[in-house]
Amino acid sequence: MKKIFLPFLIYLAFISESSLMQALLPQENNMEWQFIPRFSMVMILFIAMYLNSTYGLVYGLGFGLLTDLLYTDIIGVYLFSMAATAYITSVFSRYLFGNLIVTLLLSIVGVSILEFFVYGLNSLIGISNQMIDMFLYKRLLPTLILNGFFAILIYYPYVKQLNLLKDTLKEN
Amino acid sequence: MPHFFSNKRLIILLVSIIILVALIGFSMKKRESLTLPEQFLKDSAGLAQTIFYKPANTIAGFFENLAEMKQLYKENQMLKARLDEYAKLYVQYEEVKKTNQTLKAQLDKEEDLTDFKVREATVIGRSPDQWNQFIYINKGEKDGIKPKMAVISPQGFIGKVTNVSLFQSTVQLISDNDRTNRFSAIVQGERNIFGTIEGYDPKRQALLFKKIPVDAKIKKGQKVITSGLGDVFPPNLLIGEVIDIEPDEVGLTQTAYLKPSADLYDLDHVMVLEREMPAVDESLKEKEEE
Repeated sequence: MKKIFLPFLIYLAFISESSLMQALLPQENNMEWQFIPRFSMVMILFIAMYLNSTYGLVYGLGFGLLTDLLYTDIIGVYLFSMAATAYITSVFSRYLFGNLIVTLLLSIVGVSILEFFVYGLNSLIGISNQMIDMFLYKRLLPTLILNGFFAILIYYPYVKQLNLLKDTLKEN
Repeated sequence: MPHFFSNKRLIILLVSIIILVALIGFSMKKRESLTLPEQFLKDSAGLAQTIFYKPANTIAGFFENLAEMKQLYKENQMLKARLDEYAKLYVQYEEVKKTNQTLKAQLDKEEDLTDFKVREATVIGRSPDQWNQFIYINKGEKDGIKPKMAVISPQGFIGKVTNVSLFQSTVQLISDNDRTNRFSAIVQGERNIFGTIEGYDPKRQALLFKKIPVDAKIKKGQKVITSGLGDVFPPNLLIGEVIDIEPDEVGLTQTAYLKPSADLYDLDHVMVLEREMPAVDESLKEKEEE
């Protein structure tokens, strides 16, 4: 039960991304800003920060593959980007003390790394034709705000769960 | 940072980049059907999405209603004005329909290229990153949906079915920038002008209608519809309206910008069309039997 709890939680966040997009987009379009939910990525970043880098990498690979299969047409873009982002964030977190502000900062850095990876790869393949200034202003900024709020929202309950999990991992 | 780039990690990084390129290359060619594990993943995600979309839609709908309330009076006035127009058009439509029926009866022609079967579906989700423009609908293989069927909203043509699993299917919108996402279309007018819809310009929020001959004269406000050439989509589905025309980079063709007639961002209920065409060999068989 305990073993599937964490993946299940992230899966819920993952599914809610597409539902939220479907519900949110009509209003969003009026403002011409792109709020992209990256909830599963934020949750994986927390794992990379509070458990260890291997867990982050594995979850990044798993949910990256899931994102590729379900939400896109091309396999590999998210698989690579999410795993790499989780790993880079876990390396950063070794040098920083984990409190709310640092966690929020690292989540924002992580989400922007992911966005840059995906933007770069998609531009390379020819899926995205957005200019870099539009990408920075209309997409990256709102996305970081949305996911920052999400990180603050889940911080206390989620970190508590992760610390519990860490203790049980140590016991084993 | 010595931790970051030790020899072993560098090799792992390089290998993973090679795998990445190989995977992208593998998945860029179009596949007709999904593998079984993919279907299973999509179905289970579809189930979860069905549970999620109801509350999400209700909450979003509440805010939308609040926004709409402000414009209600204005809209009502406009609609009243349009009502008279509608009555006139309806009479005309009935007349034309009747004539068409009698003419068809005279010709002894029952099947038509423009006939299609309609299946209603609900949108249960949307691709969260805006690079890919996919929506997910709650009808799949068991409801008879097949890849490449055309999908419309009440306002007009929105895209085609790409992947089908048992209980849900994926629809690629016309605004998706994929290389293979192209449609043959015509500008309605005295003479039909042909071209193809190739992607979307996010800056102008318009569809790109390319490969129009240089000498073709197109005015702003003209309607663009699907051509029905190629046996996939039914003809005469409204795609959009011309808002601007420009010569191509090389000057050999023209590019028009289209405002999509359907709101591609606000899709709740869509219809999947299956073209009903008499298969050639079947009609031949019948004749032989006679």
